[in-house]
Amino acid sequence: MKYLFFYKRYGLLRFLSNHETMRMIERILRRTGMNLKMTEGFHQRLKLSFGQALPTGIIDRAGLFLISTDEEIGQEFIGKINSLSPHGFEVYRICKVSEKFELGRSVNGYVFSLIFLEEPNIPEGWKIEKYGKIWKTSFFVAFNSSSPRTNAYGQYLTLRESVVFKETFNDESACCG
Amino acid sequence: MNNKKHPSVLNKLVGVLDKVEKPSRYIGNEYNSVKKDAPLSVCLVFPDLYDVGMSHFGVKILYDIVNDLDFAKCERSYLPWPDMQREMKDNSIPLYSYESYTPLDHFDVVGFTLQYEMSYTNVLRALNLANIPLRSADRGEDSPIVIAGGPCTFNPSPIEDFIDAFLIGDGEEGIVEMLEAIRSGKDRSDKLRKLSNIEGVYVPSHNNRVRKRVVHDLKRSWAPTRQILPYTEIVHDRGVVEIMRGCTNGCRFCQAGMIYRPVRERSNDEILDISFETIKQTGYEELSLLSLSSADHSQIKDIVSSLREIPYTSLSIPSTRANSLTVEIAKAIGSVRKSGITIAPEAGTQRLRNVINKGISEEDIISAAKLAIENGWRRIKLYFMIGLPTETDDDVRGIGHLIDRIKRMGFYDLSATIGVFVPKAHTPFQFESQIMPDEAMRRFKLLNWTNKFAKLNFTDPHKALIEGILSRGGKELSYVIEEAEKRDLIFADWDEFFNAQRWMDLFKEYNVDIDHIMGKKSFKDEFPWDFVDSGISKGFLWAEYQRSLRGDLTVDCRNGCTGCGVCPNFGVENIIHGVRE
Ligand code: SF4
Repeated sequence: MKYLFFYKRYGLLRFLSNHETMRMIERILRRTGMNLKMTEGFHQRLKLSFGQALPTGIIDRAGLFLISTDEEIGQEFIGKINSLSPHGFEVYRICKVSEKFELGRSVNGYVFSLIFLEEPNIPEGWKIEKYGKIWKTSFFVAFNSSSPRTNAYGQYLTLRESVVFKETFNDESACCG
Repeated sequence: MNNKKHPSVLNKLVGVLDKVEKPSRYIGNEYNSVKKDAPLSVCLVFPDLYDVGMSHFGVKILYDIVNDLDFAKCERSYLPWPDMQREMKDNSIPLYSYESYTPLDHFDVVGFTLQYEMSYTNVLRALNLANIPLRSADRGEDSPIVIAGGPCTFNPSPIEDFIDAFLIGDGEEGIVEMLEAIRSGKDRSDKLRKLSNIEGVYVPSHNNRVRKRVVHDLKRSWAPTRQILPYTEIVHDRGVVEIMRGCTNGCRFCQAGMIYRPVRERSNDEILDISFETIKQTGYEELSLLSLSSADHSQIKDIVSSLREIPYTSLSIPSTRANSLTVEIAKAIGSVRKSGITIAPEAGTQRLRNVINKGISEEDIISAAKLAIENGWRRIKLYFMIGLPTETDDDVRGIGHLIDRIKRMGFYDLSATIGVFVPKAHTPFQFESQIMPDEAMRRFKLLNWTNKFAKLNFTDPHKALIEGILSRGGKELSYVIEEAEKRDLIFADWDEFFNAQRWMDLFKEYNVDIDHIMGKKSFKDEFPWDFVDSGISKGFLWAEYQRSLRGDLTVDCRNGCTGCGVCPNFGVENIIHGVRE
């Protein structure tokens, strides 16, 4: 069975590199004791695939990873995995997906947001909104094109807000919860 | 805990982490780190970069022991890399703990682990970043009690002006008694007085003599299994199980082998239990078996074969012995062939290996290499030292011949690390001199011909000299260490920061008598560390030194006591679980 996990990574954990995040998740999964499929070969690793890599420093609300297991898991697994995770990492949804599901084929891209503490100087045509004392702009970035850098526009924070799936992926029907 | 108010470190921290290299090494809040409230607060500091300090096992042990106490809590800190130090200075961020982001000067106790002498300046830098007065004499009621442990404390003299109390030897029981004393002391001087009465504790302002602390046996409850998981890739990122403490081989150059006597093994069953628990609590994919010489554990074969059964977990055993057993174990754990096998002949000729009492023969080394070849290894790493007592040019050339002989056996990749011997305190060779850098360079040249077929890695002889001075010197070095920190001679173990000339200039300016500190000594000469009783008498060390000069071997004391004195002195004995074949 294949399961797609949705997670957030926030607080100080935004300072993890992509590689560090992957290793952290791998160890969290190992702590759950669940029976995961392993890669072949001498140095066996968990069979695990991730959404698009994110530069260090970005808050992630649209993290994804995909596992294969012969165990049936339900939404109660969310509580278990979060209890074995450090503060700042949180799984918020688990979807059972078909065996053929692949992240690269299903994800269209992501919506990013930039938060500014002063009125920003950003490229023309970007929509900017003001909320109280902060300014916010959001935009879509296609899968596998580069994510915004944390220092690119003088922004205070960079967020990956959400994932946009291709139409072929029917989110609701695939979810077990 | 002191009730001083402090500005929020965390808020400022978030503002600088975008600007430094590898920010994850400063964020703390790792899985399995402990956040609790308790009346007495302790911060353990490893005076080096997080990537190095997090791998250290001693901190893991004490962290859990203190956090298991009702009345105390333990947090951690490390020395930030210079880019982060700059940011911290510019933004008035004091050195802080990794659990609650509390400035270090707000703790009741700050404890340093002294693993290598080159970190002494790092200790002072950490105190500076923490706004804690460097010298004990300048600390007041508001300052933390600064304590230190680790192997370097067996000669505390060079750094004793900066440390309020040393815990020398095994720390498991001593740390608890120290915290009780600090908790019950009325004021600073009362606390120090109480500390000075604890076995194994040296308070420079109170004690004239001190005897190391020994635990009789390694208790199950002392094994840390909830090991903290770093986010950053650190030097050794894996679960650690201490399978044995102490070593009975009696190599005459080895300080650890002398100061950690006697041997205390954990049993096979206990090791298995600890291993399972560690994997479960951490999710680590690799376990490392820790000891000075794992191949000597009486049940090592059983241990390895049981641990191999843990699914999806690889094993590693830092190897030390240059014999077939090491290869057999490496084979049994299925360690990755391509990473190569490591053996440490230490010296190039049998004569010299006998002098240092390295209980292996040329045949042992060759048959180990042969076994490695037969089992598919094509890469091999060898460790040697030059400058060992009585060494002649023929002995040095012997290293080359041995490298040559092993290379010809069919390894396509042979690398040899050749270090300069540093005669350490509390070893039979403490009476010996250390060779100077020029002489070391001359001897290195005798090996250059092996460059054609082997990768030679000579360690810096100046670094060895500075290490020797810092490890063998006395109180007079405190001013040198203080000035070295001011001149930014920190992270001296890191090549990019090491500057031999600036150290040598400093020794000159402060009139450090290098020839005296590093020269030959007789039995009657006094050492700065004579007042530290390791349990091994100076007479035994002298006799061992004399035997070495004659080339006489001393047997492994698992096979019969050789009379070093530790066991009768402390009422302890070697604890050995299995029967050796
Ligand atoms: S007293 Fe004897 S048995 Fe004990 S550590 Fe010393 S030599 Fe070994």
